[in-house]
Amino acid sequence: MAQHLLFKDIDEPGLSTLEVYERRGGYSALRKALEMEPEDVLAELNASGIRGRGGAGFAMGKKASFLPKGSMDKYLCCNADESEPGTFKDRELMQKSPHMLIEGIVIAAYAAGINRAFIYIRGEYAEQADVLDAAVAEAERAGHLNGLPLVVHRGAGAYICGEETALLDSLEGKRGNPRLKPPFPANQGLYQGPTLINNVETLATVPHIIAMGGAEYAKLGVETSTGTKLVSVSGNVQRPGNYEIELGTPSREIIYGLAGGPPEGREVLLWFPGGSSSPVLTKDDLDLPYDFDTMAKAGSMLGSGAIIVVDDSNSVVDVALKVAKFYRHESCGKCSPCREGTNWTVKMIERMRAGEATPMDLDIMASVQTNIIGNCLCVLGDAMAMPIGSMVEKFRPEFEAYIEARRRELDRVTDEMPEPPLQVLQGAR
Amino acid sequence: MSTVPRFGHGSRVPGWDDAVDLEKDPMEVPDPATTPVPDDLRAQIEHHLSLYPDPRSAALPALAAAQRVHGWCSPEAIAQTACVMRLTPAYLSAVATFYDMFHTEPVGMHKVYVCTNISCSLNGADDLYERLCQAAEGDEDLHVQHFECLGACDIAPMASVDGVYCGPLDLDDVPRLLDDLQAGRPPLADKQLRRRFSADPAVNTQEFRPGPGNEPIVAAGTGGTPKPPLAAGPPMPADEDRTDQPAAVEQPPDPPDNPDSEDSADD
Amino acid sequence: MPRPQPAEITFSIDGREVAAPANMMLVDAAKRGDIEIPVFCYEPKLGQPVGACRMCLVEIEGIPKLQTACSTPVKDGMVVHTQTERVRDAQAAVVEFLLVNHPLDCPVCDKGGECPLQDISFGWGGGRSRFIEAKRHFQKPLELSPLVAIDRERCILCYRCVRFSQEVSEDYQLILQERGADTYVATFDGHPYVAPFSGNIVELCPVGALTSKPYRFRARPWDIESSASVCTLCPSQCNVTFTVRDERVLRVLGRDNEEVDDGWLCDKGRFAYQAVHVEERVTRPMVRDGGELRPVSWERALSEAASALSRARGRVGAVVGGQTTNEEGFLLQRLVREALESPHVDSSPLGSRSRADLVALANPRLQATVSDIEFAHTVLVLDCEPIDDAPILDLRIRKGVRRQRTKLVVATSRPSALDPNAVATHRFAPGEGAEFARALARHIADPLPDDDAALRDFARSLRAAGDEVVVVAGERSAVEAVALAEALGLAEVSGAGILEIPSGTNGRGLREAGCVPGSGPGYAEAPEGLSTPRIAEALSKGDLTAAYLLHVDPIRELPGRGTWEGALERATTVVAHAAFLTEGLREHATVVFPAEGHPEKEGTVTHPDGRLQRVRPAIAHQGENRAEWQVLADLMRALGVDPGVLTAGMAFQQLVEAVPFYAGLTLDTVGGRGVRWPERAQATSLPDVEREGSAVGREEARAEGEGLRLGTFRSIWAAPEVEHAPALKFLAARQRAELSPEDAQRLGIRNGERVEVGANGTRVRATVALRHDVPPGTVFLEENVAEDGANLLSGEPLVEVRRS
Repeated sequence: MAQHLLFKDIDEPGLSTLEVYERRGGYSALRKALEMEPEDVLAELNASGIRGRGGAGFAMGKKASFLPKGSMDKYLCCNADESEPGTFKDRELMQKSPHMLIEGIVIAAYAAGINRAFIYIRGEYAEQADVLDAAVAEAERAGHLNGLPLVVHRGAGAYICGEETALLDSLEGKRGNPRLKPPFPANQGLYQGPTLINNVETLATVPHIIAMGGAEYAKLGVETSTGTKLVSVSGNVQRPGNYEIELGTPSREIIYGLAGGPPEGREVLLWFPGGSSSPVLTKDDLDLPYDFDTMAKAGSMLGSGAIIVVDDSNSVVDVALKVAKFYRHESCGKCSPCREGTNWTVKMIERMRAGEATPMDLDIMASVQTNIIGNCLCVLGDAMAMPIGSMVEKFRPEFEAYIEARRRELDRVTDEMPEPPLQVLQGAR
Repeated sequence: MSTVPRFGHGSRVPGWDDAVDLEKDPMEVPDPATTPVPDDLRAQIEHHLSLYPDPRSAALPALAAAQRVHGWCSPEAIAQTACVMRLTPAYLSAVATFYDMFHTEPVGMHKVYVCTNISCSLNGADDLYERLCQAAEGDEDLHVQHFECLGACDIAPMASVDGVYCGPLDLDDVPRLLDDLQAGRPPLADKQLRRRFSADPAVNTQEFRPGPGNEPIVAAGTGGTPKPPLAAGPPMPADEDRTDQPAAVEQPPDPPDNPDSEDSADD
Repeated sequence: MPRPQPAEITFSIDGREVAAPANMMLVDAAKRGDIEIPVFCYEPKLGQPVGACRMCLVEIEGIPKLQTACSTPVKDGMVVHTQTERVRDAQAAVVEFLLVNHPLDCPVCDKGGECPLQDISFGWGGGRSRFIEAKRHFQKPLELSPLVAIDRERCILCYRCVRFSQEVSEDYQLILQERGADTYVATFDGHPYVAPFSGNIVELCPVGALTSKPYRFRARPWDIESSASVCTLCPSQCNVTFTVRDERVLRVLGRDNEEVDDGWLCDKGRFAYQAVHVEERVTRPMVRDGGELRPVSWERALSEAASALSRARGRVGAVVGGQTTNEEGFLLQRLVREALESPHVDSSPLGSRSRADLVALANPRLQATVSDIEFAHTVLVLDCEPIDDAPILDLRIRKGVRRQRTKLVVATSRPSALDPNAVATHRFAPGEGAEFARALARHIADPLPDDDAALRDFARSLRAAGDEVVVVAGERSAVEAVALAEALGLAEVSGAGILEIPSGTNGRGLREAGCVPGSGPGYAEAPEGLSTPRIAEALSKGDLTAAYLLHVDPIRELPGRGTWEGALERATTVVAHAAFLTEGLREHATVVFPAEGHPEKEGTVTHPDGRLQRVRPAIAHQGENRAEWQVLADLMRALGVDPGVLTAGMAFQQLVEAVPFYAGLTLDTVGGRGVRWPERAQATSLPDVEREGSAVGREEARAEGEGLRLGTFRSIWAAPEVEHAPALKFLAARQRAELSPEDAQRLGIRNGERVEVGANGTRVRATVALRHDVPPGTVFLEENVAEDGANLLSGEPLVEVRRS
């Protein structure tokens, strides 16, 4: 069984209190870090090779080293807006081991010369935010914050606020619209100051890296995906939940070995390896090792480490509609390809369900996804276009069969009704 | 006739078809001389204002406070918040309508958010939502809303009841939930997420025994300040009652009925 | 603050080598190579680009993803492609997305023919539609305000209008509601979007979603002509373009001039053109006959005026209103001084500024420009309210604070709209602005240990950010601002100085043209005469017998209404130039010449920062109107003096010859952007006049005894043009009394109640407006309103307020 870091003591009752956390060795990594020079702490993080656990998978140490030196106000924002469908690992960490996160934040702030920190937690996680509030108060009383002002900031229900620049706008009290990049948050982030933004899991791992040493941590996992990772497995599996694995563990072992696989008699139809934003994989991909690079090579991504399994009792079109509707609902509306593209895609799939589509609509739908990808202000548009595009590509026969079946079922094909009018489609200049 | 939902006339977004009322005055930053604000709301907003280098950052917590006081983000609630924050109500209205958890239309006091995203949906969330809507019909105190992924796919299908996560729910839980809310009890105490052990078999060993000071229960809420712990809910049902669970998740043992432990958890 | 001085770089775009300033946005830099990159959301006037519409995607070598040209600063050696298949596909895709929910109702759209969405769809779109779902349909058009209609179907959510409201005018009234595809432009809870600059959103909208209600369906783009001029409705003197159809002005658009208006207009400037075409306007000369003003021929009016004035030779007092051009002012002072042998001509309502004071105020080295406001370390707003007195400067001050981190300090008696942006504010009692400025200057030059702590703190804030300080001063305290500027050493600092907001549009030009007692054209020495308030007194006493009122109705506009009523009652002759018969003229004028509207006028005006600007006629004279320079010249001729002026150009020529520091200017050099004379070499010919010690003390009545201190202010909407323009009528200022909640509580008065404000038997009716930031013990009333003007109470420092 894989080594457990984050989850080692996770079910110890009372772990969320300072007393129990300290009894299990908590805050010793902070003491160790504070005895080192900030650069050396940063060097350990770099040596660990840890990549961000929020979705983008960017090397954490590198990100922290992008912050300019100098005496200006610098900020750390812990991204606890865990909203990617299928992801619930940060929730469990914050609820059960809030001090681990706080310790990580204080160490990271020390390493990067940061003087103010925020935890942006999604508003729905009210229980977890209360746990964090209590833990921050406890840590502050015990002097564990090292003088760092740390505020738990509650969101109010918007997926887009997990995007780092939208998170900053939201934290500044605005609508959570993503910003143009550049400038990157490391240079101009919160209140226009240099800002480091990291996911909960990433920061919670920091104390472990410091405790065991970056080089030792890097021995876990595989070369370009070091360490352990919390994986949220859900959907059509028998034992949904969070599992801590070493990166590079075969996907089948996670889905079947840990999560129990689909119910008796069912097979995997498709699975999202990294939340609903990741292009789908099929049962043929189950033997791929679960790490950043392999998933990317397979045309998908590890993302937030959220595996959603869909078994063969479901229709891919229904899954596509759920996905598209989600992104339409969550698009902030700032940039046109995402705002209009998500809306259009939903309407097309709804038309398929209504028996009013033809296979030609699949071409339009695929083309609309292509037109979204890479043309948006942030990645939310891509987050819909990539999985929808992958579904159309990998399950085209299923889509066509569905369209045909719905047309027959709902009696949309009659002699009086011609094929979709061509003049409408082509129009005139 | 087409069955495709058309967002034509009578759209689902209130406001699209609304003109302004030319009889009204333009709305600038409300003047404290003419805008009374309840003292407790003012105190809460001022507390939030004090937490940030830029006071505007307090917009979300301040609106949340106003929503708690007024039940929803009514024009009056927004104007009061704007008055204390020295912003225009329009600014806060733009913010409030962006976020799903701010209600700019009147809603019931108890807010039940049912997750209908993929994982929950694959486990029957759509039926659950429909059943809840039926059960809540006519109940003015109850607001049922479907929600995108609430981040609790491990207990799919689930719902957030006044901020407390409950799941996995089946259709039989619907009347129980309504009863609990009516009686003012914590909702579905046996199905609350915070009572669950981790699914990871390697850590879910029950090696640790709860002892005094170890009880992690903290009250849920949306407040900016921690509240004292809730009284522990009723005992968990025995494991044999729960064989219908798809996930092999063990429930924690009964929480200790030790008042001392609760006190210490507050520290 | 140092202004950006970017180096010139070269980059390649579609194979062309193009030179551009470094870090210019690629969209703008491309234009230098004659390459247009389409945009919707990009508008540099609105601040940082947002990159929302995605229309301007281009390919840059070395960057894998397409980049938005609106937000990419150009770098040396950059290689850009705008014509590759990838770029064309992306741009066509964006057009397709934007048209998904756009109704394409161009034939019935008011924007048709001048619509960026039309143009860009044609130029960059795919030319076909694949969207066969139902489009959204809503009620349209809907009212957004009495001035603006909104069509939400057509909106492409480019953010321009809401960015204007939030980041330029900072009124934060116009917002986006909801999220994603549900997003729409709205206001809070159905309140109308009424703000001083709201009309700019119509001009910003790149589709037909926001249209001007006064202009909707009045003309198609091919029906209209455009004519450039200057708005003369306030001292901001914004550059405008009149849209003209069949000799009628149908619309006013901004004409960007960074040194004057930065591309914005206030709603008064944008919509008050309507007052030119209303029936109530005076378009024929009138003469009082049997107690009534009756229209007469020009010949009769001129001869009656000439003979009446001739009888009053030597005993004529002339008051010049702010909308008078330089040429008119110049000819008037010749008429009064030469033809009528009377030295009494004044263009300031306050009076009592010596020639030496005015010369000191005109010192080119102390002269700040409009753009200095933006880049100064600190801006001091002294005894004025920019939003009312020169609205466009309010935007410039906000811009400096927001974008350049300029520090703002405000010293006024009435709470200012700029207070929330200020690092320090000081409230002095009404009428004590000059005194405060003197105290501040004295403290800075020579701090005393027992100086008031508030004064010390204020002086510290004023100087904390750096040497470049711009003092934006109201006319009442401008002379004292000179002492302050001298104490701060601003003459030695470039980018610093004073920008006086005169009480009239062309206050500065009229001064330079010689409409000041004792000061001729170019501040040359002239026989001593009476100032405006003294003219009123002299008329009341019978020392003067005729009043010449050029674009001014003293009963309505000038302080001391009581005195003026007596003065005009007693005067045997009152000759007035007016566009509207306001109360005082209707009752007292003996001859009325029609005044030209600003779209009819030809001439020049001088901006508060010394910029001469051309006012050019956009339409023919309405009715029987004549050019007013011509009326003045004809009067001179009738009085036996040859004016030597046959055209407007000759009038300008005479002015230039008479004012040494204007020497060499021609209408061509003034051109469309104006010329600042303080920057010209001839500026050294400003006369040197010895100042006698400190500035002349103002005869403000001191407040002693019981009651509230009375302060007055003039709202942006207090103007006859606003009252007569049908679209703006709803904004016309009505008297209101601004009170602090403390005083209201003490007096038992509630917000919105009707009250009477008065002293010594004189009463003004008003509606109470409670404001938390009004200093207790003070009440503020409006000037220049059609009824119940505050000038009824001039000279009454203390008033009582009671429920009526």
